[in-house]
Amino acid sequence: MNFELSQDHKVLQSAVRDFVEKEIKPIAIKIDEDHMIPDALVVKMAEMGFLGSYFPEEYGGAGLDMLSYAIVVEEVSKACGSSGVLISAHTSLCSGPIYTFGTEEQKKKWLPALNTGEKIGCFMLTEPNAGSDAGGTMTMYRREGDEYVINGSKTFITNGGYLGTAVLFASHDRSLKHKGISAFIVDLQSPGVTILKNENKMGIRGSYTTAFALDDLRIPAENLLGVEGKGFNVAMDTLNGGRIGIASQALGIAEGAFERALAYSKERKQFDQAICEFQAIQFKLADMWTSIETSKLLTYRAACLKDAKKSYTMESAMCKMHASETATFVTKEAMQIHGGYGYIADYEVERMYRDAKITEIYEGTNEVQRVVISKLLLS
Amino acid sequence: MKLLVCIKQVPDLESRFKPNSEGVWYNETDLAFRMNEYDEYAVEQAVQLREKMGDGCELTVLSIGPDRVVEAIKKSLAMGCDNAVHVQDSAASSKDPWQIASIISAYAKDKGFDVIFTGMQSQDRGSAQVGVTVAEQLGIACTTTVVGFVYDNGTITARRELEGGIKAAVKLNTPALVTCQLGLNIPRYPTLPNIMKAKKKEIVAIPVADLLNEAPLAATTSFHPPAKKGGGIVLEGDVGELVDKVIAILKDKTAVLR
Ligand SMILES: Cc1cc2nc3c(=O)[nH]c(=O)nc-3n(C[C@H](O)[C@H](O)[C@H](O)COP(=O)(O)OP(=O)(O)OC[C@H]3O[C@@H](n4cnc5c(N)ncnc54)[C@H](O)[C@@H]3O)c2cc1C
Ligand SMILES: Cc1cc2nc3c(=O)[nH]c(=O)nc-3n(C[C@H](O)[C@H](O)[C@H](O)COP(=O)(O)OP(=O)(O)OC[C@H]3O[C@@H](n4cnc5c(N)ncnc54)[C@H](O)[C@@H]3O)c2cc1C
Repeated sequence: MNFELSQDHKVLQSAVRDFVEKEIKPIAIKIDEDHMIPDALVVKMAEMGFLGSYFPEEYGGAGLDMLSYAIVVEEVSKACGSSGVLISAHTSLCSGPIYTFGTEEQKKKWLPALNTGEKIGCFMLTEPNAGSDAGGTMTMYRREGDEYVINGSKTFITNGGYLGTAVLFASHDRSLKHKGISAFIVDLQSPGVTILKNENKMGIRGSYTTAFALDDLRIPAENLLGVEGKGFNVAMDTLNGGRIGIASQALGIAEGAFERALAYSKERKQFDQAICEFQAIQFKLADMWTSIETSKLLTYRAACLKDAKKSYTMESAMCKMHASETATFVTKEAMQIHGGYGYIADYEVERMYRDAKITEIYEGTNEVQRVVISKLLLS
Repeated sequence: MKLLVCIKQVPDLESRFKPNSEGVWYNETDLAFRMNEYDEYAVEQAVQLREKMGDGCELTVLSIGPDRVVEAIKKSLAMGCDNAVHVQDSAASSKDPWQIASIISAYAKDKGFDVIFTGMQSQDRGSAQVGVTVAEQLGIACTTTVVGFVYDNGTITARRELEGGIKAAVKLNTPALVTCQLGLNIPRYPTLPNIMKAKKKEIVAIPVADLLNEAPLAATTSFHPPAKKGGGIVLEGDVGELVDKVIAILKDKTAVLR
């Protein structure tokens, strides 16, 4: 057993760290206040190769592995959870299923623009009445000649506001439940796609969360992704991988808050001593760090299992669940260690606290993760 | 055209340093290492020249040290160096600048490098001797503390930083060596695709015994962190007494009243 990152992964980690330190950290407060990641930053992240880390070079990717991708999302999220989820949703929820389920032609057509960031990707599964129960998809498709015609609505779509490329799920017969669902690749610049709104949220405010109406959206039949009627499998497989991205995002948010709390506890003096001299603070730090380390081990392990092409459904559910609960716990404690200052925006831990919560909810709520884990244990 | 850039890996300067068991250098356990900051500017300048000269120009990066320095080498390869030399030496930190320079010169002497880039100094030892000593040993021109670099047809025009913000321009013909100062350029980030490409570039490993022929000229005899600052001195008494005491202290501890 070897728990050390390889030299190549360390080179990557420090390169990403340097970039984040100079290009993202200084503007993280502004991203939250403006509800907007500057386009210039998206371009810089694309130039760094953050938007195509684990896809082969022949499709415009960097050709690295899942562990590298996890490290990128983690390091970016240390400074900015919004930028972290932009990368995660784009990579594992849009390019991911196209790479896994797409034909060679589809990969050649869609992946290069995604991997270079020319198009930002999103994943359109959730609907107003189909959240955890994705089998209840009510968006409908029908075949007309060599086109599919899609009608319905989608909600809470990360990166939706960029109107780039989407992997979209729709049903042709609601009575078939999940067996009626198919997956499609959609160019969101097409007629029939309307943004209803970009949501105003508690956290990850720099990230678009978009509601769409789809009215007679026509897409060429060649945009069917995978086998007709097997879209639910595409969604579930995609979320398996995506959870490693969300775990990495949560891990990064927790680490970012921990770094600040540790430093602050050494600087802040009350009762004539640094507050880190109080056992009450020391025990918090010990619990926070232990949760972070266990989250990291679970997350990196799930990534390594995927790289090794082994089964990782249980591991990705566990790392997502544990890392997200670590993120909410650690950010809460980091704020407490900061006392009143923790509640003030300039100190950033309050943003991290707000950013952390969503990681317990999206890409399968933690209740759903527990369903996945226990089902596998009992099967 | 052949270019060489020499880099060193140093500990993160925010680390807490403790003396090693011999008391002559720091203990490396638990320290995080990265590329010497001055060397990042050297690599960037070398890569810019490499890109300007195009095909037919070859840029080699060299580092001396234990296996961990390969990390810094890989970063340089990802920034754009073509190939690398790792001089394997687990005891590099106990060698003096003369020995380090002689290892580099022994490697470089028959290779015909047109320009050699080094950092102005290392962030840990800070001798600023290695670059100039290499130039002397190879018998080539050298300029230091470079903040501007232009190469044209066998001539380097370098801007040097002097004391008090004054700059000087120096012209030298190749082969030549320059030592690079902070701010010379903006070192690029290694991108993910370039990190991937770097994996395929060659790193030649050479045992230090094959290149080292010199004994040290200046051995470090002790290493110690700065003494902990005391809590200050509180003076008591009437004003006249206080003034006398202050004057005595200033005479004793400073140069202001001599
Ligand atoms: C900021 C943000 C970004 C998002 N990004 C995307 C995106 O890019 N693409 C996308 O398709 N979706 C996205 N979502 C949607 C997200 O995945 C869903 O919100 C999530 O799956 C939960 O669905 P729901 O909101 O309908 O909650 P519900 O499913 O209604 O759940 C409500 C509560 O009931 C619990 N519950 C439901 N079913 C069970 C069960 N079987 N057992 C136990 N408890 C259960 C849930 O755990 C939860 O606590 C995003 C959401 C947000 C807020
Ligand atoms: C929105 C807001 C409104 C406020 N309104 C008012 C107001 O109207 N009037 C007013 O006077 N003040 C007000 N305050 C100040 C507030 O009461 C203080 O922030 C609070 O008492 C904590 O002090 P501190 O922020 O200096 O944190 P610190 O005292 O520095 O505490 C930092 C951390 O160290 C811990 N700690 C400190 N001492 C010990 C110890 N001995 N043992 C164990 N742990 C310790 C704390 O519990 C905390 O986790 C307000 C603060 C905020 C954020």
